[in-house]
This record gives sequence, C-alpha cells and structure tokens, in this order.
Amino acid sequence: MSQDRLNTIASHQKILHFPKGGKPALAHNEWQVWPGHQNNSEDEGGNFSPPDLDHGKKGLLVPFAWWLNHMHSHQHEADIQSKAKAGQIGVWFAADDDILKHADIIEAGKTVWPLVAVHFPIFRDGRSFSTAALLRDRFAWTGEIRAIGDVLIDQLLQGARVGFDSFALRPDQNLDVALKQFDLYSVTTQNSWRGKRTFIAETV
Amino acid sequence: MYKYDAIDQTLVDQRVAQFRDQVARRIDGTLAEEEFRPLRLQNGLYHQRHAYMLRVAIPYGLFSAKQLRTMALISETYDRGYGHFTTRQNIQYNWVTLEDTPDILAELAKVEMHAIQTSGNCIRNITSDAFAGVAADECVDPRPICELLRQWSTLHPEFAHLPRKFKFAVNGAKEDRTVLLCHDVGIELKKNLNVNNGELTADIYAGGGMGRTPILGSLIKQGLPWNMLPSYLTALLRVYNRFGRRDNLYKARIKILVKALGPEEFARQVEGEWAHIKNGEDNFTQAEWDRVAKHFTKPDYKNLPALTTEQVIASATHADAATQTGFTRWLERNVKPHQVPGYASVILSLKPHGTVAPGDASTAQMLAIADLSDQYSFGELRATHEQNLVLADVEQAKLYELWQEAKKQKVALPNIGLLTDIIACPGGDFCSLANAKSLPIAKAIQERFDDLDYLFDLGDISLNISGCINSCGHHHVGNIGVLGVDKDGEEWYQITLGGEQGNDTSIGKVIGPSFYADEIPDVITNVINTYVNERAEDESFISTYRRLGVTPFKEAAYKDKSENAQKKDKAGVDA
Repeated sequence: MSQDRLNTIASHQKILHFPKGGKPALAHNEWQVWPGHQNNSEDEGGNFSPPDLDHGKKGLLVPFAWWLNHMHSHQHEADIQSKAKAGQIGVWFAADDDILKHADIIEAGKTVWPLVAVHFPIFRDGRSFSTAALLRDRFAWTGEIRAIGDVLIDQLLQGARVGFDSFALRPDQNLDVALKQFDLYSVTTQNSWRGKRTFIAETV
Repeated sequence: MYKYDAIDQTLVDQRVAQFRDQVARRIDGTLAEEEFRPLRLQNGLYHQRHAYMLRVAIPYGLFSAKQLRTMALISETYDRGYGHFTTRQNIQYNWVTLEDTPDILAELAKVEMHAIQTSGNCIRNITSDAFAGVAADECVDPRPICELLRQWSTLHPEFAHLPRKFKFAVNGAKEDRTVLLCHDVGIELKKNLNVNNGELTADIYAGGGMGRTPILGSLIKQGLPWNMLPSYLTALLRVYNRFGRRDNLYKARIKILVKALGPEEFARQVEGEWAHIKNGEDNFTQAEWDRVAKHFTKPDYKNLPALTTEQVIASATHADAATQTGFTRWLERNVKPHQVPGYASVILSLKPHGTVAPGDASTAQMLAIADLSDQYSFGELRATHEQNLVLADVEQAKLYELWQEAKKQKVALPNIGLLTDIIACPGGDFCSLANAKSLPIAKAIQERFDDLDYLFDLGDISLNISGCINSCGHHHVGNIGVLGVDKDGEEWYQITLGGEQGNDTSIGKVIGPSFYADEIPDVITNVINTYVNERAEDESFISTYRRLGVTPFKEAAYKDKSENAQKKDKAGVDA
C-alpha cells in the first residue's frame, strides 16, 4: 500500500505551471512530496520524523492526515513550526480526505502553507477534482494547488478548470503534448474557477 | 428544434480535434489502452466483441431529417448498412474502426451532433419524453430544460470521473414515458400557481437505477426553481463524487450511496452543500433560457378541424377490407393524440417480427424515413426509449397516405405496446459485457407470436430483454423481463414478472431458476396462457398479475420443466 503510494507520487522533474490568467510553462520542481509513513502502524507515527529535504528543494509537502496528527505533537512541534514559519511546509490531500470536516485547520493553513497538493491515486479517480473545487470555492484558497500522483495529459484541462494551477505529471507523460492541452477549447458551457461560461462572459 | 450557435458549434468541432489527437496518440502507442479506455468511452466508443461500437447522442431523443440522413450516410460509409436505436435515445454503430472515428465525429459535427458523454463515468446523454412538445397530456415542455442541462453537463470538469455512470431523465407530462424513477436523477418539471409564483419548478428524484440492484428513485427535493438546477445538481453530484463508492464497481452507482445513507440523509447533505452555492453564478439566467427556448416554439401548424377516429378511417373507404383492417389497427396502436387539433403523432415500429434486431434501421430505411419526416412532420423526428421512431406532427388527414408509405419501408407494423414491441439490448451477439444473446430470444418470441389478431387480443404487454445484469434492455421494468445469465459458461435466461414503466413504475420479481434459450418461447406462451385464462374482461396483463400475484404465472412457467423432470424420473425408474 505505502509502496504503491510512493510510486504513484513519482513525477517529472519539471512541474507544469498554469496560473490563472497566465500561460502554461515548465519550471524546476522546488517541492518534495513526502508520501508519509512507510508502514501503516499508527503507534510508530509519533516517533517518525519527516525526511530532510533533498538538495535543491525548497520545501516539503506532507500528508494532510500526518499534519492533523502531528502538527501539535510534543515531539515535532518546534521543528515543524519553524519549518512552517520559514514557508517550507505544505500539505497534500489524499483522495479520501474529507476537507470539509477540517475546515478550521484548512482556514488556519491558508496563512502557513505556501502551496497545497491534491493526490490522484489513479487518473480516473475524480474525487480530487471536487477537493480542488472546494478549496477554491469554499475556502477561497488563492495559493497554488498542485495535482500529484497519477497525473496524465488528458486530465490537465479538467484539473485546470476545477482549480489546479500546477501539475506534477507522471514521469512517462510527454511534457510537450501536455503544454498543448490548455488551449484545446475556446468556449465553455459551465462556469469554472478560470472563468464564466462563454455565453455569460460574452453577454455581460 | 434546437439550433447550434457559434458556441455550440465551436465546442463540438474542438471536441473532434481533441479526440482525433487522443486517437492518434493511441495508435502511435504513446497512450496505453488502459488509459485511453475512459477517454474513448467519454466519447461513446466501446470496444466490442467483433469491432469498435460508436454510440452517438440524440439529446432528449429529438433529431432532424438532415441529421438522420447523416446517420444513414455513416451507416453506409463506415458501418454495415444499418444503425441501432437504443433505449436511451442514442444510435449505435456496431462495426466501426478506431481509425475512422474522428472522421465520423467530424461528419456528425457538421449536422450539430456528437458522441460526447454517451458512455463513461460521467453525466450521460439526457433523456426525455419522445412526445415532448406535442403530447396531449403534457404539463410542461421539457425540451428547454433538457437543452440547458445538456450544455451545462457537456465537458463538466468536476464530474468527468464520477464513481460510475450518471443518467438524467426529464419529464413534463402527466404520464411518465421516461422511466424517470429508474434514473440516477429524475427531474419532474411542474408549473403550479402556488409554487414559485407559477414559474417552472422541478421535483428531484435521486438514486434510481436498474442494473444488479434495481431501485426506484426517492424524492429528495420539491419545488426547485428551474434556474437553480445547475447549483442544486452541482451540490448533488459533488456529494456523490466525494462519497460514492469507488472500491466496488457494482456498488458505485448513486443508488447505493442514497440507499446506504437513506434518502433523507442524502437530501440533507445535498442541501448542506447547496446552501453554499445556491445563490452563485452557476444558476441559469433568463437570457440563457431565452437563447434556448426560442428554438422550441411550435411549428407552423395549419388551422385544421380535429377528426374523429371514424373520420380518419374513412380516408381508407376505397380500399379493400383487409387494408381497412390494417389501417385501423395501425391507428389504434401506432398513432397517439396531439395537443393541436387536426394533428397526431405517429410511431414507426422498428420491431418487425423476427427479421431484424429491435431498434435496427437500415441505411435505406433511414433515408426513406428522413423523407417521410420532411413530407409529413416538419422534418423532425424523435427516438423513443422503446427503440422506435416518432413523426410527431402529422396531419390526421394524411395518416392514411403516411401509413401506405411507412408500409413500403416495413416500419408500419401495428405492434406498439404489444408483446412483440420488444425492448432488447444488442446482447452477446455484439456486446462484450453480455452473458448471453438477446437478439435470438427476441426473434424467437416474435416468431412465436406472429399472429396480429392474437397480439391485439392480448393487448398491452411489455417484454424486455437484457443480455446481462447491466440491464440495457430494461428487463426490470418489463411486464415480462428476460435476463441473460451465465452459468458455467452456458447461456441461461432468468424470467422476471410484474415490472412496469409509467406512473406505476415497478421492478419485476425473479420467478425462479433460469431456463435454456430454447425453452423461452414455451415459457412465455405458458405465462401468456395463464393471463388469457385468468383475466377478467378487458383486464390488462399487468392488472391481472397484480390481482393474482406471481404464483399461477410461476407455476405455468415451470410446468414444462416439471413435466420433463417427471418424464425423466419415470424413464429412470423404467430403466
């Protein structure tokens, strides 16, 4: 299980950024994704420290579930707090994290996490589309939301519309093809994070 | 009917280009089959037993003569000279190649058609009443809402990868002709002076479906103002997308979530989500309504006197007795009342006895039917969920003429609503999901009951056949349902009785162990004989069934089996 998770979080060295109102572009990945525990044994959790950052990385994305459990644990609090204060810690949400249940933590996180990520355990699992949409709509999250995991070329457009603005594509995906996905359509028929549906946008 | 504007046309053209690129990547190997599969399904392309099958949307069943000619052209150029009209108002081509599909889609786009979301785990083609806008019992014309929802759901990014497929049906008539309660979401449109100032509202039913676990939808919302459908449906789909099961394919439909939570709790969660977005900008505007509704005005009806049936029959007075009988029968079964005096709606039967699969039309038939619609019905047609076609606006005075033309095309059999008007999926002859064949069963039953006098005497009976539990043939809601099952690699058929569509929608009950294919005509005969023996005067099959319960029908169905078993036992003793 955890090994699968490790594998699925592997990604290209380059991140595809597509800021709202901007143009898609590739950039060096400055964030290391920590998949979490190597085994599921809960009682080891308290003794487990997140890894040191790889050379060249600016910060660490930790599992949201881990943040919930350990942010205030006595052993790591000081260390994590200092990293968080330095803008070196973000969280990633698993597909089954119910973010609405932890609204207060996420509200507080808005001032702490430089970015968040949402994980796709498999490309055809659409839960993370709703997670991203809720982060934008409900929490008014204005920072970066990154898609991680099984992120494929043909999800990019949907992801970009629900609220993702950066993508850590699976290593086998062709980045040149990926970059071309965002201007396939010049019209839309429902609102999205990026803009209003064409008919409304044109008539207002 | 609806006409694309620049937005709609651009979208379908760009969808063709996107799919063309996806197909090219599949062919050059950079896109693996496992990852291409959901992409092709979201564009209606299945990989079947022999070839690819392309399912093309006929949104809410409405199409034009021009579109039908393109469907015919596609059947001739890219398929084997026919198309199959489905139970969800789509048309399927069974013999296409992957390489050709982008070109087929480009042909379709030229006549404002597409295959978007006719499959896959997304919001599917929206179905409605085939008699929308013309039915005598209509309260609200559902077509503008259907079209608004078609556009809203098209390429919806958040709901592109739901736990499972998601089907909407929309009804606005007194009699439900959409099997509303067997849909993931059923939308019942109403106008009531006491609700929403007499403006259009919707009642929402959720969690219905057929398949392995047939369940009728539950009413979860009443009196929703029409313009708030997008925000409410977003809330509903968001709850399903987040919490519908993804661990088990057979438990992933919304019906399982609604059942697990209970309809009240599901409705509460949807309300909770909706509260945050109900006043947002997702909702439809009046300008959007106007943009769409202007296309659903009434055609240029003439001022005609309403004719009685006797007056219509009188148009055949010069014909011989057999012809007059044939025409009268056709009027009785295939012609439906209309909102406008002097007009009627005509159902063209795609259920000839034993010659072609239910719902199939050949290239030549499609071209001829397109001409008939131009000549008799303002160039418009509808596809019914029973897999027949409708000319909705025919002058009563021209019914006799039309009947004679329809007979030439072999689409005038007066069997609408009768035992041989069988709903059937393509089954194991084509579909790779099927456990058993459907078409030979349909053929055998149609051949067995080929006597129109007898069929008329039996009256309204629905017989629906599905080749597997996915229930594309809607066997659960047939008065008699036949389901193909696999037992140790052999094809068997399970019988259900007592299903019903319409306002008393019911799920049929399985009567017992399944039968071999060659036993089915006898089983049906025994069930029908029981009805004939037991019915009160003018009592329909379903009423008789409801009065007597399953037992006498079940005993009759297994009569031959027990006789055979006794013979075998006896043979054993003698030996």
